[in-house]
Amino acid sequence: MSPSVLICDDSNMARKQVLRSLPEEWKDSVQIACNGAEALTILRDNSIEILFLDLTMPGIDGIGVLQGIQKLNLNCSVFVISADIQPEMQSKVKALGAKEFMRKPVQADVLLNNLRQHGLL
Amino acid sequence: MNEFHLTEDQQDCLQELINIAMGQASDQLARYLDTFVYLKVPSIESVAAKDLMKTLSQQKNTMAVVSQGFFGYEGIRGEALLVYQEEGSARIADLLGYEPDELSQDEQLIDISSILTTTFLNVFAQQINNQLSYNAPKLLPNIQEILSEHLQQMPFTWDLALKVNINYQVTDYSFNCNMILLIPETAITNIKHVLDRILEEF
Repeated sequence: MSPSVLICDDSNMARKQVLRSLPEEWKDSVQIACNGAEALTILRDNSIEILFLDLTMPGIDGIGVLQGIQKLNLNCSVFVISADIQPEMQSKVKALGAKEFMRKPVQADVLLNNLRQHGLL
Repeated sequence: MNEFHLTEDQQDCLQELINIAMGQASDQLARYLDTFVYLKVPSIESVAAKDLMKTLSQQKNTMAVVSQGFFGYEGIRGEALLVYQEEGSARIADLLGYEPDELSQDEQLIDISSILTTTFLNVFAQQINNQLSYNAPKLLPNIQEILSEHLQQMPFTWDLALKVNINYQVTDYSFNCNMILLIPETAITNIKHVLDRILEEF
Protein backbone atom coordinates (compact mmCIF):
# COMPACT_ATOMS: atom_id res chain seq x y z
CA MET A 1 0.00 0.00 0.00
CA SER A 2 1.31 3.47 -0.76
CA PRO A 3 2.04 5.66 2.23
CA SER A 4 0.35 9.03 2.64
CA VAL A 5 2.83 11.65 1.51
CA LEU A 6 2.92 15.44 1.85
CA ILE A 7 5.26 17.68 -0.14
CA CYS A 8 5.75 21.19 1.28
CA ASP A 9 7.63 23.77 -0.76
CA ASP A 10 6.82 27.29 -1.92
CA SER A 11 8.26 26.53 -5.36
CA ASN A 12 6.12 24.67 -7.84
CA MET A 13 9.22 23.42 -9.64
CA ALA A 14 10.76 22.09 -6.43
CA ARG A 15 7.51 20.26 -5.60
CA LYS A 16 7.52 18.67 -9.05
CA GLN A 17 11.14 17.65 -8.60
CA VAL A 18 10.18 15.70 -5.48
CA LEU A 19 7.05 14.29 -7.05
CA ARG A 20 8.82 12.87 -10.10
CA SER A 21 11.43 11.22 -7.87
CA LEU A 22 8.81 9.18 -6.00
CA PRO A 23 7.80 5.61 -6.92
CA GLU A 24 5.07 5.66 -9.59
CA GLU A 25 2.51 3.85 -7.42
CA TRP A 26 2.83 6.48 -4.66
CA LYS A 27 1.93 9.42 -6.81
CA ASP A 28 -1.84 9.24 -6.43
CA SER A 29 -1.71 9.62 -2.67
CA VAL A 30 0.53 12.69 -2.57
CA GLN A 31 -0.72 15.94 -1.08
CA ILE A 32 0.81 19.35 -1.67
CA ALA A 33 1.37 22.35 0.60
CA CYS A 34 2.74 25.67 -0.69
CA ASN A 35 3.82 26.99 2.70
CA GLY A 36 4.33 26.02 6.32
CA ALA A 37 0.86 27.04 7.50
CA GLU A 38 -0.80 24.90 4.83
CA ALA A 39 1.44 21.99 5.75
CA LEU A 40 0.52 22.19 9.44
CA THR A 41 -3.20 22.25 8.62
CA ILE A 42 -2.88 19.16 6.43
CA LEU A 43 -0.69 17.41 9.00
CA ARG A 44 -3.22 18.11 11.75
CA ASP A 45 -6.23 16.86 9.82
CA ASN A 46 -4.73 13.86 8.04
CA SER A 47 -2.44 11.13 9.12
CA ILE A 48 0.63 11.85 7.01
CA GLU A 49 3.37 9.24 7.11
CA ILE A 50 6.06 10.95 5.06
CA LEU A 51 6.71 14.69 4.73
CA PHE A 52 9.19 16.23 2.29
CA LEU A 53 9.87 19.67 3.70
CA ASP A 54 11.55 22.80 2.35
CA LEU A 55 13.11 25.17 4.92
CA THR A 56 13.28 28.66 3.45
CA MET A 57 9.67 29.70 2.93
CA PRO A 58 7.79 32.92 3.61
CA GLY A 59 5.64 32.90 6.77
CA ILE A 60 5.96 29.68 8.76
CA ASP A 61 9.19 28.14 7.51
CA GLY A 62 10.44 24.57 7.64
CA ILE A 63 11.78 25.00 11.17
CA GLY A 64 8.33 26.22 12.24
CA VAL A 65 6.75 23.12 10.70
CA LEU A 66 9.18 20.81 12.50
CA GLN A 67 8.40 22.56 15.79
CA GLY A 68 4.68 22.26 15.05
CA ILE A 69 5.04 18.52 14.44
CA GLN A 70 6.77 18.15 17.81
CA LYS A 71 4.11 20.19 19.56
CA LEU A 72 1.30 18.17 17.98
CA ASN A 73 3.22 15.02 18.80
CA LEU A 74 2.72 13.63 15.30
CA ASN A 75 4.28 10.42 14.14
CA CYS A 76 5.54 11.46 10.71
CA SER A 77 8.88 10.82 8.97
CA VAL A 78 10.25 14.16 7.82
CA PHE A 79 12.83 14.53 5.06
CA VAL A 80 14.14 18.06 4.71
CA ILE A 81 15.01 19.19 1.20
CA SER A 82 16.66 22.59 1.24
CA ALA A 83 18.97 25.02 -0.51
CA ASP A 84 20.24 26.16 2.90
CA ILE A 85 23.02 23.62 3.20
CA GLN A 86 24.95 25.05 6.16
CA PRO A 87 26.13 22.24 8.47
CA GLU A 88 24.58 24.01 11.46
CA MET A 89 21.19 24.00 9.72
CA GLN A 90 21.52 20.30 8.92
CA SER A 91 22.14 19.43 12.58
CA LYS A 92 19.39 21.77 13.69
CA VAL A 93 16.71 20.03 11.61
CA LYS A 94 17.90 16.62 12.78
CA ALA A 95 17.72 17.78 16.38
CA LEU A 96 14.13 18.79 15.63
CA GLY A 97 13.33 15.27 14.50
CA ALA A 98 13.98 15.24 10.75
CA LYS A 99 15.16 11.85 9.47
CA GLU A 100 17.45 13.17 6.78
CA PHE A 101 18.67 16.32 5.10
CA MET A 102 18.87 16.48 1.30
CA ARG A 103 20.30 19.35 -0.70
CA LYS A 104 18.45 21.00 -3.55
CA PRO A 105 17.99 20.25 -6.39
CA VAL A 106 17.01 16.83 -5.07
CA GLN A 107 18.19 13.79 -7.05
CA ALA A 108 15.82 10.83 -7.41
CA ASP A 109 18.44 8.23 -6.41
CA VAL A 110 19.40 10.14 -3.25
CA LEU A 111 15.76 10.49 -2.26
CA LEU A 112 14.94 6.82 -2.88
CA ASN A 113 18.07 5.69 -1.02
CA ASN A 114 17.07 7.74 1.98
CA LEU A 115 13.58 6.24 1.96
CA ARG A 116 15.10 2.75 1.77
CA GLN A 117 17.49 3.47 4.62
CA HIS A 118 14.58 4.32 6.86
CA GLY A 119 12.63 1.25 5.82
CA LEU A 120 9.99 3.28 4.02
CA LEU A 121 10.55 1.69 0.63
CA MET B 1 9.74 41.13 -12.98
CA ASN B 2 7.50 42.43 -15.75
CA GLU B 3 10.26 43.67 -18.01
CA PHE B 4 11.67 40.18 -18.35
CA HIS B 5 8.27 39.01 -19.63
CA LEU B 6 8.56 35.74 -17.81
CA THR B 7 5.64 33.36 -17.56
CA GLU B 8 4.59 32.24 -14.09
CA ASP B 9 6.41 28.93 -14.57
CA GLN B 10 9.58 30.62 -15.84
CA GLN B 11 9.50 33.00 -12.87
CA ASP B 12 9.07 30.12 -10.41
CA CYS B 13 11.90 28.21 -12.07
CA LEU B 14 14.24 31.23 -12.01
CA GLN B 15 13.39 31.90 -8.35
CA GLU B 16 14.24 28.31 -7.45
CA LEU B 17 17.57 28.42 -9.34
CA ILE B 18 18.37 31.64 -7.48
CA ASN B 19 17.37 30.14 -4.12
CA ILE B 20 19.72 27.21 -4.67
CA ALA B 21 22.57 29.49 -5.76
CA MET B 22 21.95 31.80 -2.80
CA GLY B 23 21.91 28.86 -0.39
CA GLN B 24 25.36 27.80 -1.47
CA ALA B 25 26.67 31.36 -1.46
CA SER B 26 25.43 31.72 2.13
CA ASP B 27 27.10 28.49 3.09
CA GLN B 28 30.41 29.80 1.76
CA LEU B 29 29.91 33.10 3.56
CA ALA B 30 29.11 31.25 6.80
CA ARG B 31 32.31 29.20 6.47
CA TYR B 32 34.33 32.33 5.78
CA LEU B 33 32.88 34.18 8.77
CA ASP B 34 32.86 31.00 10.84
CA THR B 35 29.29 31.57 11.91
CA PHE B 36 25.73 30.71 11.00
CA VAL B 37 23.96 32.83 8.42
CA TYR B 38 20.20 33.14 8.69
CA LEU B 39 18.75 33.07 5.23
CA LYS B 40 15.51 34.56 3.96
CA VAL B 41 13.89 33.95 0.59
CA PRO B 42 15.64 36.44 -1.70
CA SER B 43 13.24 38.62 -3.63
CA ILE B 44 13.96 39.29 -7.27
CA GLU B 45 12.87 42.12 -9.48
CA SER B 46 13.97 43.62 -12.73
CA VAL B 47 15.15 47.17 -13.27
CA ALA B 48 15.30 48.88 -16.66
CA ALA B 49 18.70 50.29 -17.60
CA LYS B 50 17.42 53.85 -17.54
CA ASP B 51 16.08 53.46 -14.01
CA LEU B 52 19.08 51.83 -12.40
CA MET B 53 20.92 54.99 -11.37
CA LYS B 54 17.69 56.30 -9.88
CA THR B 55 17.18 53.04 -7.99
CA LEU B 56 20.71 53.10 -6.64
CA SER B 57 20.62 56.72 -5.58
CA GLN B 58 17.26 56.21 -3.83
CA GLN B 59 18.82 53.76 -1.45
CA LYS B 60 19.75 55.60 1.68
CA ASN B 61 23.26 55.43 3.02
CA THR B 62 24.64 53.42 0.18
CA MET B 63 28.27 53.33 1.08
CA ALA B 64 29.93 51.03 -1.33
CA VAL B 65 29.42 49.10 -4.51
CA VAL B 66 31.60 46.17 -5.49
CA SER B 67 31.47 45.42 -9.19
CA GLN B 68 32.59 42.22 -10.90
CA GLY B 69 32.23 41.18 -14.52
CA PHE B 70 31.42 37.65 -15.65
CA PHE B 71 31.19 35.85 -18.96
CA GLY B 72 30.32 32.36 -20.14
CA TYR B 73 29.15 30.59 -23.31
CA GLU B 74 26.27 31.40 -25.61
CA GLY B 75 26.15 35.11 -24.98
CA ILE B 76 25.83 34.78 -21.22
CA ARG B 77 27.68 37.71 -19.73
CA GLY B 78 27.11 40.56 -17.39
CA GLU B 79 28.25 42.53 -14.43
CA ALA B 80 27.37 41.76 -10.81
CA LEU B 81 27.06 44.70 -8.44
CA LEU B 82 26.92 44.17 -4.72
CA VAL B 83 25.48 47.23 -3.07
CA TYR B 84 26.07 47.76 0.64
CA GLN B 85 24.54 50.14 3.07
CA GLU B 86 26.87 52.03 5.38
CA GLU B 87 25.54 50.36 8.49
CA GLY B 88 25.94 46.93 6.97
CA SER B 89 29.58 47.22 6.14
CA ALA B 90 30.50 48.60 9.56
CA ARG B 91 28.83 45.55 11.03
CA ILE B 92 30.78 43.22 8.81
CA ALA B 93 33.95 44.82 10.08
CA ASP B 94 32.68 44.42 13.66
CA LEU B 95 31.93 40.81 13.04
CA LEU B 96 35.37 40.14 11.70
CA GLY B 97 36.95 41.95 14.60
CA TYR B 98 38.61 44.48 12.36
CA GLU B 99 39.49 47.95 13.48
CA PRO B 100 37.31 50.26 11.47
CA ASP B 101 40.18 51.73 9.51
CA GLU B 102 39.29 52.16 5.91
CA LEU B 103 41.73 49.91 4.16
CA SER B 104 40.92 46.66 5.90
CA GLN B 105 37.20 47.35 5.67
CA ASP B 106 37.51 47.84 1.93
CA GLU B 107 39.46 44.64 1.56
CA GLN B 108 36.88 42.76 3.59
CA LEU B 109 34.07 44.09 1.46
CA ILE B 110 35.85 43.02 -1.71
CA ASP B 111 36.56 39.55 -0.30
CA ILE B 112 33.02 38.99 0.91
CA SER B 113 31.56 40.31 -2.32
CA SER B 114 33.72 38.05 -4.39
CA ILE B 115 32.72 35.00 -2.32
CA LEU B 116 29.04 35.85 -2.66
CA THR B 117 29.19 36.76 -6.34
CA THR B 118 31.32 33.91 -7.63
CA THR B 119 29.64 31.18 -5.56
CA PHE B 120 26.21 32.47 -6.49
CA LEU B 121 27.02 32.74 -10.18
CA ASN B 122 28.94 29.44 -10.35
CA VAL B 123 26.01 27.52 -8.91
CA PHE B 124 23.55 29.42 -11.08
CA ALA B 125 25.66 28.75 -14.19
CA GLN B 126 26.02 25.06 -13.34
CA GLN B 127 22.26 24.71 -13.21
CA ILE B 128 21.86 26.22 -16.66
CA ASN B 129 24.77 24.14 -18.03
CA ASN B 130 27.10 27.06 -18.42
CA GLN B 131 30.46 27.93 -16.98
CA LEU B 132 31.66 31.40 -16.10
CA SER B 133 34.89 33.32 -15.92
CA TYR B 134 35.32 36.45 -13.86
CA ASN B 135 37.11 39.75 -13.92
CA ALA B 136 38.74 41.06 -10.78
CA PRO B 137 36.24 42.68 -8.40
CA LYS B 138 36.40 46.43 -8.12
CA LEU B 139 35.29 48.56 -5.20
CA LEU B 140 33.58 51.75 -6.30
CA PRO B 141 33.22 54.60 -3.90
CA ASN B 142 29.69 55.81 -3.69
CA ILE B 143 30.11 58.97 -5.63
CA GLN B 144 27.26 59.27 -8.08
CA GLU B 145 29.43 60.41 -11.00
CA ILE B 146 31.90 57.55 -10.61
CA LEU B 147 29.13 55.01 -10.34
CA SER B 148 27.27 56.44 -13.26
CA GLU B 149 30.45 56.58 -15.34
CA HIS B 150 31.29 53.00 -14.42
CA LEU B 151 27.85 51.83 -15.50
CA GLN B 152 28.23 53.59 -18.82
CA GLN B 153 31.60 52.02 -19.48
CA MET B 154 30.38 48.42 -19.54
CA PRO B 155 31.88 46.42 -22.41
CA PHE B 156 28.37 45.41 -23.48
CA THR B 157 25.00 47.06 -23.78
CA TRP B 158 22.75 45.95 -21.04
CA ASP B 159 19.05 46.51 -21.21
CA LEU B 160 17.79 45.15 -17.98
CA ALA B 161 19.15 44.47 -14.56
CA LEU B 162 18.05 41.61 -12.39
CA LYS B 163 18.01 42.82 -8.82
CA VAL B 164 18.22 40.19 -6.12
CA ASN B 165 17.54 41.54 -2.65
CA ILE B 166 19.55 39.59 -0.15
CA ASN B 167 19.10 39.90 3.57
CA TYR B 168 21.62 38.19 5.75
CA GLN B 169 21.34 37.88 9.44
CA VAL B 170 24.56 36.81 11.03
CA THR B 171 24.12 35.83 14.69
CA ASP B 172 23.64 39.16 16.48
CA TYR B 173 24.26 41.19 13.39
CA SER B 174 22.20 41.69 10.32
CA PHE B 175 23.18 43.30 7.12
CA ASN B 176 21.40 43.93 3.93
CA CYS B 177 22.96 44.03 0.56
CA ASN B 178 21.58 43.94 -2.91
CA MET B 179 23.07 41.90 -5.67
CA ILE B 180 22.30 43.52 -8.98
CA LEU B 181 23.05 41.58 -12.13
CA LEU B 182 23.34 43.66 -15.26
CA ILE B 183 22.63 41.41 -18.20
CA PRO B 184 22.36 42.14 -21.91
CA GLU B 185 19.27 41.20 -23.87
CA THR B 186 20.97 38.19 -25.55
CA ALA B 187 21.76 36.68 -22.15
CA ILE B 188 18.18 37.19 -21.02
CA THR B 189 16.86 35.43 -24.13
CA ASN B 190 19.31 32.62 -23.55
CA ILE B 191 18.31 32.24 -19.90
CA LYS B 192 14.64 32.07 -20.94
CA HIS B 193 15.42 29.24 -23.39
CA VAL B 194 17.22 27.36 -20.64
CA LEU B 195 14.31 27.89 -18.24
CA ASP B 196 11.96 26.46 -20.88
CA ARG B 197 14.27 23.48 -21.39
CA ILE B 198 14.29 22.79 -17.65
CA LEU B 199 10.51 23.18 -17.45
CA GLU B 200 10.01 20.76 -20.35
CA GLU B 201 11.62 18.04 -18.27
CA PHE B 202 8.62 18.06 -15.97
